[in-house]
Amino acid sequence: MEIAGQTPDIISARDLGVVACNRCAKVWPAGRQTCTRCGSTIIARDTKSLQRVWALWLVGLMCYVPANVYPMLQTRTLLNVQEDTIVGGAIELVHHGAIGIATIILVASVVIPLAKFMAIAFLAISVTRVSAVSKHQRQRLYEVVEYIGRWSMIDIFVVAIMSSLVQLNTLAAINPGRASLFFALSVIFTMLSAQAFDSRMIWDLQSKPEGHSAND
Amino acid sequence: MTETPPPVAIEAAPKSLIGRVSMVWAIPFLALAIALVVAWQSYNARGPLIEIEFTDGAGIAKRQTELRYRDVSVGIVEDVTFSPGLGSVVAHVRLDKTVAPYVDAGSTFWVVQPELTTRGISGLDTVLSGVYIEGSWDSAIGPERTRFKGAVEAPLYKSGQKGLQLALRTTPGGTMTDNSPILFRGIEVGRVGKARISQEGNFAIAEAIIYEDYSRLISPSTRFWETSGFTFSVGPTGAEIDFSSFATLVGGGLTFDTFVSGGDPVSDGTVFEVFADEPSARNSLFNASEVETLEMRVVFDSNISGLAVDAPVELSGLKIGKVQSVSGVIDADAFGDDRVRLNAVLSIQPARLGLQNEVTPEAALRFLSGRIQEGLRARLASASLLTGGLKVELVQVDDAPPAPMLTGDGIVPIIPTTKSEISDAAATVEGVFNRINNLPIEELLNSAIEFLDSAEAFVSDEDLRETPQDLRALLGDVRGIVTSQDVQDIPVTLNAAIGRFETLLAQLEKDQLATRLAAAVDAAADAAKGVTASVEGVPALVTELEAVAASARALPLNELTTQLTALTASADKILGTEAARQLPADLGAALNEINATLAELRQGGAVANVNATLESTRQAADAVAASTQDLPALVDRIRRVFDQASATIAGYNKGETLSRDAQAALRDISKAADAMTSLARMLERNPTALIRGR
Repeated sequence: MEIAGQTPDIISARDLGVVACNRCAKVWPAGRQTCTRCGSTIIARDTKSLQRVWALWLVGLMCYVPANVYPMLQTRTLLNVQEDTIVGGAIELVHHGAIGIATIILVASVVIPLAKFMAIAFLAISVTRVSAVSKHQRQRLYEVVEYIGRWSMIDIFVVAIMSSLVQLNTLAAINPGRASLFFALSVIFTMLSAQAFDSRMIWDLQSKPEGHSAND
Repeated sequence: MTETPPPVAIEAAPKSLIGRVSMVWAIPFLALAIALVVAWQSYNARGPLIEIEFTDGAGIAKRQTELRYRDVSVGIVEDVTFSPGLGSVVAHVRLDKTVAPYVDAGSTFWVVQPELTTRGISGLDTVLSGVYIEGSWDSAIGPERTRFKGAVEAPLYKSGQKGLQLALRTTPGGTMTDNSPILFRGIEVGRVGKARISQEGNFAIAEAIIYEDYSRLISPSTRFWETSGFTFSVGPTGAEIDFSSFATLVGGGLTFDTFVSGGDPVSDGTVFEVFADEPSARNSLFNASEVETLEMRVVFDSNISGLAVDAPVELSGLKIGKVQSVSGVIDADAFGDDRVRLNAVLSIQPARLGLQNEVTPEAALRFLSGRIQEGLRARLASASLLTGGLKVELVQVDDAPPAPMLTGDGIVPIIPTTKSEISDAAATVEGVFNRINNLPIEELLNSAIEFLDSAEAFVSDEDLRETPQDLRALLGDVRGIVTSQDVQDIPVTLNAAIGRFETLLAQLEKDQLATRLAAAVDAAADAAKGVTASVEGVPALVTELEAVAASARALPLNELTTQLTALTASADKILGTEAARQLPADLGAALNEINATLAELRQGGAVANVNATLESTRQAADAVAASTQDLPALVDRIRRVFDQASATIAGYNKGETLSRDAQAALRDISKAADAMTSLARMLERNPTALIRGR
């Protein structure tokens, strides 16, 4: 807010006709194809970035559906076998009175992944049209999404640890359900999707009215 | 710094759609494709849904209870619902596609639960894993079906299980243990399934299976019997308790044996009877079937107290059935009044009637109908005098009024009755008892006791006990006398004496016969006198002679005496010995010679000279007596013999009384002696008598 309020207009590197190397961050004049310092190709704007974002986002979303439909955890005791989906397990915990744990599970496994999907989708859309949200906020959002992405695997960690610890043969055993694989895939693809997003594009649209004539 | 940077070379953008589309789109498409393939595959692999109806849920849980075939999971219950009207529980089972075609109309399903029986525990695994539904179907693909009715318990025949399928039927009135093993030599070779009662209710029938390995043990002559429970018997070898196994003791069981070897293997569906025990099973082999009984009714007007169920029904004394039930009946239409009549239902065994060709109730009914037309009637008769029990007798009544017999489906034919023949057994028996009661039993017993006491005293008397010994000794004595050499020598001696007498006569004939003969006769008379004197002089000797005679009587001595008395008669039967028999012949010969001599004399001499002749005869006799010493010697010898004999007898017989016979014999001998005496006297007086033969 502060930043957005202070600097309504920000001069981007592009405005200055320079481009930074994606790898070693050396600044080169715009148009330069290769960074002579590290040898990597210099791409001013990844034109296919959005496509990759959307593609991976879609795969992540596709994986998220079975991750919630199929059971996450299979708990087998002597007398019965219990299979719980993520939401079902949380509801059961609420029935047992463990509201705190249920909240954690719901936040970590449902709220955050869904928020990530929405955030990435929002960012990807916002770079193509004028948005009411300021560029700084969007940049902040992007950083949060990228940072939080790795922690979404906490569910998978819990399942993995419990599965490896509770293996008492016939007495009791906890096995990962089919949903755990899809959940992991979903998290991986959302992270890849977030990484595929070229955050520099957040800043481009604002200068479009000016560069509109220059570009086209 | 102010100058603008050189214009950036702008890359041309005539790129195709492929150039502008990122390759990353392949990933979602790939994922989509995989998802679609997986979805299609799982849909494709999904088998049909069948519905199985059970009377209760019995632990069936959706998505958890499995359907198993040969203990392998081939499906899972997807849903459990109620049938319309809540009449039953319907389990919706998703079948595996591989087995789905085989689940046809012939399939059966039942719920496997833990079960504790006498044979052991089954289905224990379901305690932990929960129940499961077991299915059974054959290996042929049949008409499709999706709705089934679940069985309450596991069927006896599981499809695909091989074995001999039989039906076991109880004998009438017999019992059977169902759901039990069939044992052979203690080995389970089959099972009996759930029994059901026949429509008429007269027997129970159950399916049974003999496992394939043992089916060759069954032949048409195989007999089944119960081994349930135990038998307890007390015999000469002690008490015996016998049961075949604990399982059969508690839960029952059947066993079988083939008493007659041979026989073809039986086919599926053969019906066998189950007998109560081995002996009846063994006996049944030789009896015709007694299962199908003929039911007939008898309505009695009279009091039938004493007619009990199972009372015998007899035809000409032969038991052909028994009373099955006894009840009252009121039928104003049939009998004309409202009195209660007594209705006995008889079950008649056709086999007992001895029908030759077909042993069926129908044939028996035909036979009995014919007989009833001819006057066969039922009546009550006393079965037991003591208990007053009654039986039903079928008897021939010659002038019986005709009685129509109703026959037809559902009608139990009625046998007409005749006058009952019930002796008032109770009254008779009471009279008998009264008379027995009035008998002077105590007096009788007292007399008997007294008599027995006396008898005992008498029997135990010392004298009586010795009697047999005395008798035996006596008999021994007699035998000794009879067999003694001396007695036996008597005839010989006599014979010798006669022989000498003969030679003497011959000599007389040679010499002056008559004179010498007379003398000889005189001498003989003297000798006889001597004998008589000696005999009379010794009374003791006479007594002892009686003893001799006793033994002599055993020999034909009296005949001897007779012969001697007559003298002319032959002496052949005097004694049993050969020598004695020859004696009369010799005597005869001697007399013949005398006769011949006399004849010569008569021819030669004149009658007028007889007196002179006799005189000379006397002289001759005297001469004989004088000249021949043989005759006194003979007499001496005879006396010696008698002495000897009497001495012998005296030795044996110490004054004891002899038998009457012996005495008689002695008397005879005495008579003989008398006769000899008289003969001698006669000869003395009239010597011519000897010569003339008179």
